[in-house]
Amino acid sequence: MRKKLLCMLTALLALALVLTGCGSTEGAQGSAEKVRLMVWSPSEDQSKDSGEWLQTCCEQFAQLHPEWDITFVYGVADEATAASTVSQDPSASADVFLFANDTLTTLTDAGALAKIGGKYADEILATNSAALTDSLTLDDYLYGVPFTTNTWFMYYDKSVFSEEDVKNLDTMLEKGVVSFPFTNSWYLPAFYFGNGCTLFGDGTQEELGADFGGENAVEVTNYLIDLYNNPNFVVDADGSGMAGLRDGSINAIFTGSWDAASIQEILGDNMGVAALPTYTLNGEQKQMYAYAGSKAIGVNSHSKYMVQAIQLAIYLGSAEAQQLHYELRNVIPCNTELLADPAIAGDELVAAQNDTFDSTSVLQPFVASMNNCWTPVENLGKGIRNGTITHENAAEQTAAMNDAMNSNGIS
Amino acid sequence: MSSEKKTSAKRIQTRTNILVHLILAILAVIWLFPVVWVVLTSFRAEKGSYVSSFLTKSFTLDNYIKLFTDTSILNFPQMFLNTLFIAICSCVLSAFFLLSASYCLSRLRFKLRKPYMNMAMILGLFPGFMSMVAVYFILKAVGLTEGNNVRFALILCYSGGAALGFQITKGFFDTIPMALDEAALLDGCTRWQIFTKITLPLSKPIVIYTILTSFIGPWVDFIFAKVICRANSDQYTVAIGLWRMLEKEYIDNWYTSFAAGAVLISIPIAILFLKLQKYYVNGMAGAVKG
Repeated sequence: MRKKLLCMLTALLALALVLTGCGSTEGAQGSAEKVRLMVWSPSEDQSKDSGEWLQTCCEQFAQLHPEWDITFVYGVADEATAASTVSQDPSASADVFLFANDTLTTLTDAGALAKIGGKYADEILATNSAALTDSLTLDDYLYGVPFTTNTWFMYYDKSVFSEEDVKNLDTMLEKGVVSFPFTNSWYLPAFYFGNGCTLFGDGTQEELGADFGGENAVEVTNYLIDLYNNPNFVVDADGSGMAGLRDGSINAIFTGSWDAASIQEILGDNMGVAALPTYTLNGEQKQMYAYAGSKAIGVNSHSKYMVQAIQLAIYLGSAEAQQLHYELRNVIPCNTELLADPAIAGDELVAAQNDTFDSTSVLQPFVASMNNCWTPVENLGKGIRNGTITHENAAEQTAAMNDAMNSNGIS
Repeated sequence: MSSEKKTSAKRIQTRTNILVHLILAILAVIWLFPVVWVVLTSFRAEKGSYVSSFLTKSFTLDNYIKLFTDTSILNFPQMFLNTLFIAICSCVLSAFFLLSASYCLSRLRFKLRKPYMNMAMILGLFPGFMSMVAVYFILKAVGLTEGNNVRFALILCYSGGAALGFQITKGFFDTIPMALDEAALLDGCTRWQIFTKITLPLSKPIVIYTILTSFIGPWVDFIFAKVICRANSDQYTVAIGLWRMLEKEYIDNWYTSFAAGAVLISIPIAILFLKLQKYYVNGMAGAVKG
């Protein structure tokens, strides 16, 4: 009896083995190559409330490529912090992720970013402005697929300022209250760039260093001291600009597209958006220049499925995906064909951001010495606010700032 | 004459008392200021991260409601449950490790006892997050850094090193007379029975102290959770969630909810402390007095 049972069991097992064996060979013949892609994006791109941009795009990509059987694994990492998360351990990170271009060197130093070349690079270069692709190019290699620009510009209350007013900061100050992030070094250099100061030559020549010294820089410092003392000027720090806009005590602020929804809610139809104004320095009009960068889709150089990952990155940065991103989340597109579309070109926000990017911005340098440039500028803003920097010592304080920007603080 | 002296002494005493209480009151106000502000902010109806007045102008419960209903971007209930689960598990585990290790070091005599205590002393001099990156790569090698395993990995992190912090507990156990153990041994108790039936009931204060400290550790930890969770947003703990609410994209919308979250996470700790406060103080004193 026992023997019989054993026999039967063995037979059953053998049968099962044969069956599963058959099954798997059949599967390999009929179906596609199995691919597992991990994709990281900010959580808004994946949330139901804002339309699941990432999932939608990934599924469409899978449909376009029936030759691959793709399993997507989603993770959350926003553009600003993705670099630090990826570089912590590139081999266990997403195959495709979104990052901000100022973190490019963090990623390349960690060897985590694949170079994009050949026909893929040509495609990107053909559909994006040169300034944009420059922001993702290091040593002549392209490192990502851009999907939006990243900069700041001006929001104003249309009931206070006319379109003519917002062309000059000093005209605006006569008519209403303007708030500017005076102690934030991502914003403050705008005035210095306006009067001929430069950082690292064209932004990539590290050996040239920062040029925030000299007579022209001192003039700007003096202008800033007067600006701070203007009764119609308010320093925007820790969200005070937004609060002022909300209670009506401030009529214009400088920030980026991430605050657009909140400002729309506050100002409604009176919301005006414009590129950066000029300011009047010793009777001359000087243009303010914002730092500009881009956000891009990167491919992990450790990816096991490199071809699929690069194709997915290209798809996520395509006009189609950008259009969806714009419709779902108001992410401003950068594809030149898409920008020609009148429906998108007519959007004030898009126009303001792109005007700023194209004509009133400088590419934010991502050379290593750039790290030394943030604190000195911030300290100058704080010094003016505290009253320690005055017209009397403006020259020496500006020189001190320039020295600090050109030194790493150790040697 | 003498009664006059007495009153003046009394008067001086009252004067000192008034002065002392005044200073204490001022200190209390300073100490409570930020707490009150966070609680007020959590009920604030005006949006945004910046207000021009200290007192809020209008009150609302929306911030709390938003925290629990608006889960599409930052899933606070999930984070809260994650943290609670991790904190309770690692609290139980590390309290057990710690008490057992302290008991062994206090009662048993073995060859490695002294070397172990020295080693623990030296290891204790280094901050835990020094080994963070190494810990991450070890956990990754064992496959604990993805999916639900992250929770397990965090519990391991928080409870693994518990036995190194035995000093206070061992000191407490040392104050329980050896004679009790010996009497129990003569009556036929095993070591385990002595530990559970005699030592632990006599050391309630220190047990409670241990539980409190080992609950708060994982409850408020940020660094390990951040390094190990990485992009697994469904595994986030409250500390990461609150930190994310202050990023530039979220701060304007989430600031008041951030304050609400801060109030909520302090509730379990506050309850524990209020309930167990009297033991907490006793824990530092010693077991059998007199």
